[in-house]
Amino acid sequence: MLSTKFAIPDVIFGRGAITHLAQCAKRVGAQRVFFVSDKGVEDAGWVGLVKGILRANGLECVYFNDVNSNPRDTQVQQGVEAYREGECDVVVAIGGGSPMDAAKGIATIVGNGGEIRDYEGANRIMRPLPPMIFIPSTAGSSSDISQFCIITDIKRRVKMSIISRSLVPGISIIDPQLLVTQDRSLILASGIDALAHAIESYVSRLASPFTELHARNAIRLIIDNLIPAAEDKDIQALEQLSIASTSAGMSFSNAGLGDLHALAHALGGVCDVLHGWVHPTLLPSVMRYNMPSCMAKMGDIGRLIALTDTASDREAAHMGIERLERLFGELNLNTKLRELVPEKSDLEQICATATYDACHLTNPRPASAEDLMSICEEAW
Amino acid sequence: MTAATTLSDLIGIEHSKLGFFQELQQTVTKLQQSNRELEEQRREIAAIIDGITDVMMVLSEDLRILSVNNEFHKLFPEGNPIGRHCYELFRHSGIACPECPAFRSISTNTVCKETAVFRIGDCNHQFEMLASPLKSPGGEENRVLIFKRDVTMEKELQAKYYQAEKMATVGTLATGIAHEVNNPLMAISGYAEGIQRRLKKYAECMPEDVAREFVDYTETIIGECSRCQRIVRSLLHFGHPETSIFGVVSLNDIIRESLTILGYHLKKSRKISLKLELAEDLPFIFADEPRLKQVMLNLVTNAMDALDGMEGVITVRTRLEGETMVVMEVEDTGTGIAPAIMDRLFDPFFTTKSMGKGIGIGLATCYGIIKDHDGDIDIHSVEGEGACFKVTIPIQLEKETDAVSLSCACCR
Repeated sequence: MLSTKFAIPDVIFGRGAITHLAQCAKRVGAQRVFFVSDKGVEDAGWVGLVKGILRANGLECVYFNDVNSNPRDTQVQQGVEAYREGECDVVVAIGGGSPMDAAKGIATIVGNGGEIRDYEGANRIMRPLPPMIFIPSTAGSSSDISQFCIITDIKRRVKMSIISRSLVPGISIIDPQLLVTQDRSLILASGIDALAHAIESYVSRLASPFTELHARNAIRLIIDNLIPAAEDKDIQALEQLSIASTSAGMSFSNAGLGDLHALAHALGGVCDVLHGWVHPTLLPSVMRYNMPSCMAKMGDIGRLIALTDTASDREAAHMGIERLERLFGELNLNTKLRELVPEKSDLEQICATATYDACHLTNPRPASAEDLMSICEEAW
Repeated sequence: MTAATTLSDLIGIEHSKLGFFQELQQTVTKLQQSNRELEEQRREIAAIIDGITDVMMVLSEDLRILSVNNEFHKLFPEGNPIGRHCYELFRHSGIACPECPAFRSISTNTVCKETAVFRIGDCNHQFEMLASPLKSPGGEENRVLIFKRDVTMEKELQAKYYQAEKMATVGTLATGIAHEVNNPLMAISGYAEGIQRRLKKYAECMPEDVAREFVDYTETIIGECSRCQRIVRSLLHFGHPETSIFGVVSLNDIIRESLTILGYHLKKSRKISLKLELAEDLPFIFADEPRLKQVMLNLVTNAMDALDGMEGVITVRTRLEGETMVVMEVEDTGTGIAPAIMDRLFDPFFTTKSMGKGIGIGLATCYGIIKDHDGDIDIHSVEGEGACFKVTIPIQLEKETDAVSLSCACCR
């Protein structure tokens, strides 16, 4: 039997948890904090809040916000220069997946040198990184929990997956109150990303009892709370989404993902689309493709999503997938791949690239580029 | 990208979050190692610095002592010099010395040399100083590295050499002149004596007053001739310093003979009156007569120069001090000596005289001669009121027996 492993950061959770930032930073030796975020989080006012907390506690800070929704290798390099110039010691990031992944990339180069593409793949990071403290402002990417870092290689038009235990931050401060400033579409995009994390990691080839528990927990919480959180910005529902996202993060960080994310990464390298928007178009097709290899688990997922207690795994699985498609429809989300990929001719390249992605390895059913192509055809 | 990633890579059992512990341990080990090496280097450098036989100091911009080597502690055994001003220790002064090479070195950023004399304890030391700027790269305060080499001995030897050279030249000249003058003198006094002999015979044939005048004139000629011969003799003596030898001498006689040589100069300057206060009961001393004459000549010449054309008195005095010492004092009522240069008077080549009047080795030579006699020279002076040079010499008659064996055949 394959041994598995479960690694997560210190998680500080609760409304107002952000106020512990300064003491956490000092605890890991901060004097000059390298602070990463982006324009959206700035506009929501959270950047100002963090700067205020640091200043009030006598911590200097170098602020870096040159981060896209899909962070680029060039931006990482600029961040590294800013870090070195500022002689910083601790990395703090607040935001969605992009600022956190950018921060991970910067920390990797600061600790190890070279360029970010040198670390593409698993376990290529050989030297320690500066301490990292992450504060997620969305309930989705779970970059604050995971050992994954996704950076776009501009020249190759590829989203690189960098996987290392060293990329698990030291401390994750999860404050559900930060979610109230998000708009409906961001709540949905990140919520569905978290759902995809949970579903893919549940059926992953590396799933373990420890990850399955969290995956199931995440699926249930997202199905129950996604609509009230997005439509009403109900704080209770947002808090549950936060928990769901963290659970999904614990699951996928340790179990890995599948071809949905392999395709999403490949697609994101070609067209700069918000990561969460890829899932409604491809998730049902990928689930159908994987069903033969993991019928029992797909049945479990179906029961959780469709809230059915039907005995047959196959029936439950189909009901779950249909329920998901209905849900995306009700939420007016785009479910057609053609809306995202301007040229159908790009699909071949996207599928070929996806087979090299680390997420492709853990997909429960082996898939060739042609298999992936058939999935895309279905979602077109 | 390399496609080597496998499922077990993703699980990464053998990979864990990298901590700093191992690196820290390695760093600590490296630091300890480099610390040891640095300490060894420091010790080696300290040993080298302490092995330097020159006095070495590092000074701050305002001439405070920052660090010194072992040699410095030998010179100033008591107290910690760090933080004190260099001029406090070397000059006993509250202000920096005008000739200080450290300032020049800092301002010009070059290596500067200077020679100066410092009175340390009871002795004068002449130092060659070398100041090199230590510019610190961090833009901190500039510092100066000073080396001081004690060259007193070398300078004394040099001065003695010059003096010996000069005296040899003067001696040769004097001997030559003395021999040349001796012959006419013999002729003059011989003819004068011849006239006297004839006078006795022919005195009755001439008027009495004329005969009386002839007697007086010839006696004066003979008297003056014998005085000239004495002068010539002392010149001959003076001209052979290398034949000089310690012996039993009368200090008063030495003074009188020296003054004979200077007699003409003293008489020429009518403004100077010479007073002799010689103790009649002065015992003989064991000394080198020609060299003591040289001391006497130097001191009196100095006194005359100090009067510099003014009216004044030069008093030469001798007396017994205690039971073992004789004292000779040469006092003048001249310009006196400024306190600032008091310490430097005995330095070779130190002179206040104008160009061509002397090269400043007179007093240095005196000092050397008196030291050879185990004696001492002291100066008492009030600026504007004159100066008194006091030479103290031990009697030491018991050394006579040793000395005879040292004397050479030619001068016995």
